[in-house]
Amino acid sequence: MLILVLSSCKKEGEYHSVSDKVEAEGKPYHGKLTSDELLAGTELIEITEGEHTFLIPEREGQIKSFACIECHIKPLSNMKGLNEKKAHWDIQLNHANGEIMNCITCHNADDMNSLNTLTGKNININLSHKVCAQCHSSQFEDWKGGAHGKKVAGWAPPRASMTCVNCHNPHDPSFDTRWPVQFNTQKAIEREEGLDH
Amino acid sequence: MSESKKRYSLDLGLNKNEVTSGSCGCGKSQGSCNSHKEEELSPDEFYEAAINASIGEERHRDGFEQVFDVKMDRRTAFKKLTASLLIGAGAISSCTSVVKDADSKEKAQIDWEEQFKGNYKLMTDEEKEGTINRLMRSYELRTGNNISMTAENAEDDVLFGYAFNISKCQGYMNCVSACVEENNQDRNSEMQYIRIHEMKDGKGLKFDEADDNYYHEVPAKDHFYMGTQCFHCDNPPCVEVCPVQATWKEKDGLVVIDYDWCVGCRYCMAACPYDGRRFNWGKPEVPEAEVNKNQHYLGNRLRKKGVMEKCTFCVQRSRKGKNPACVEACPTGARIFGNLLDPKSTIRWVLENKKVFRLKEDLGTDPKFWYFMD
Repeated sequence: MLILVLSSCKKEGEYHSVSDKVEAEGKPYHGKLTSDELLAGTELIEITEGEHTFLIPEREGQIKSFACIECHIKPLSNMKGLNEKKAHWDIQLNHANGEIMNCITCHNADDMNSLNTLTGKNININLSHKVCAQCHSSQFEDWKGGAHGKKVAGWAPPRASMTCVNCHNPHDPSFDTRWPVQFNTQKAIEREEGLDH
Repeated sequence: MSESKKRYSLDLGLNKNEVTSGSCGCGKSQGSCNSHKEEELSPDEFYEAAINASIGEERHRDGFEQVFDVKMDRRTAFKKLTASLLIGAGAISSCTSVVKDADSKEKAQIDWEEQFKGNYKLMTDEEKEGTINRLMRSYELRTGNNISMTAENAEDDVLFGYAFNISKCQGYMNCVSACVEENNQDRNSEMQYIRIHEMKDGKGLKFDEADDNYYHEVPAKDHFYMGTQCFHCDNPPCVEVCPVQATWKEKDGLVVIDYDWCVGCRYCMAACPYDGRRFNWGKPEVPEAEVNKNQHYLGNRLRKKGVMEKCTFCVQRSRKGKNPACVEACPTGARIFGNLLDPKSTIRWVLENKKVFRLKEDLGTDPKFWYFMD
């Protein structure tokens, strides 16, 4: 149910409120507008989570140094302590803290091309949202429904949503503080002169 | 403006070398620029100069001329008017001495037809096609550049709705600048449709105490951010007060304005309880290089002085299936847009599963813009 609206009764339209209208006229959209054209050129995969089925961007093809096993030929345990060249020097893990998380909380140490769950189940990189969802369950619920996150292109079907790692850097997921991109000098002048309301 | 001829004498374009601009070479219309005239002014000339200095170009240029930035004085206007009258009457089909060339003949013809077109709301699809074709051709004739203007009607089974997550907005204002660029808003007055209000935690929604023009690192400690813009009310008070029906609600729920029908009375601005409407106090200007050339008649086409404008949920985008520019630009995903009539849309999921509210519900305006929290 939408929120109850106590709108005025002086209404020329046929419905008492927009929620009545939505309820009465709501039906799956079969119009000619689609996002197909806007989505062309984006590699997408279809996922089903609970009752929601939608598209998310493919991930493996977007990672520059994929496949990981091109370097990681041995499991991670065999590479520990070796005096080899350090890699991934640019990755600083800033996600929870060191007591809770390290690389292999998400990355599968035995199959470097994949991620893993907390219980060690293999997860394809393309489905990384399953890894995030283990802890961030409320965000996951909102994302599935469409309240968290962004669409890949337009509003029109088919639904294609960005996945977690399209907006959040998994190694440093929170957003930084920064300066606003906009400052209205005219408004500032008006305020200075006491002309604003 | 101090030529010896009477101002209202008709000149049918025989003096081809005459400078047709109403202002002098420097581009200003005020008297101060003509340094070529050093001798003392006669009373008549003084009178003329005084009027120019006070009301300037508004004396010569109505809104229609302003929008196309034509430098045209009364004489030129009369010339063109006469020319198009003659064309209309079919009196001079072969006479080329009346107008300078085919282009200005065409320009005059377009101006004439645009001047007397009807309200967009009442136009048939052919008439809509006619006016956008004229506007596109006119822009081409006047600037040498092409724009693409469309007049898509509302789709069936579509009712646009919007949701704003106040827990997600961080106050970066990427939406504001994307909106200005997309919608060709006046750069001089820095017109903005969207306002982001910085509100203090624990104080409630106090718009009078909120700052909508902050400039410091965001998000600021102990503050949250709330955006307002046109809410596209389903029962829009702005529409009811318009004395000329220049603003109305479309079938897909968008509240739109015919900029060519608006008389600039600003009743709608006073009627809107959300400060959603903006007025062009001066001639809106957008540098040619920054003009968004993908336009819709009811959306981001170039406006003129003295008319209202506001957010249209980017009608030029949304009727093509795209998201409005603010939704696309938001880096935090605080803005959700979609079709309220589609039960499978994400906007419907938000309305049905999140704790949503609207501003000033008690007014009965029925906005199609909801707020929610994580």
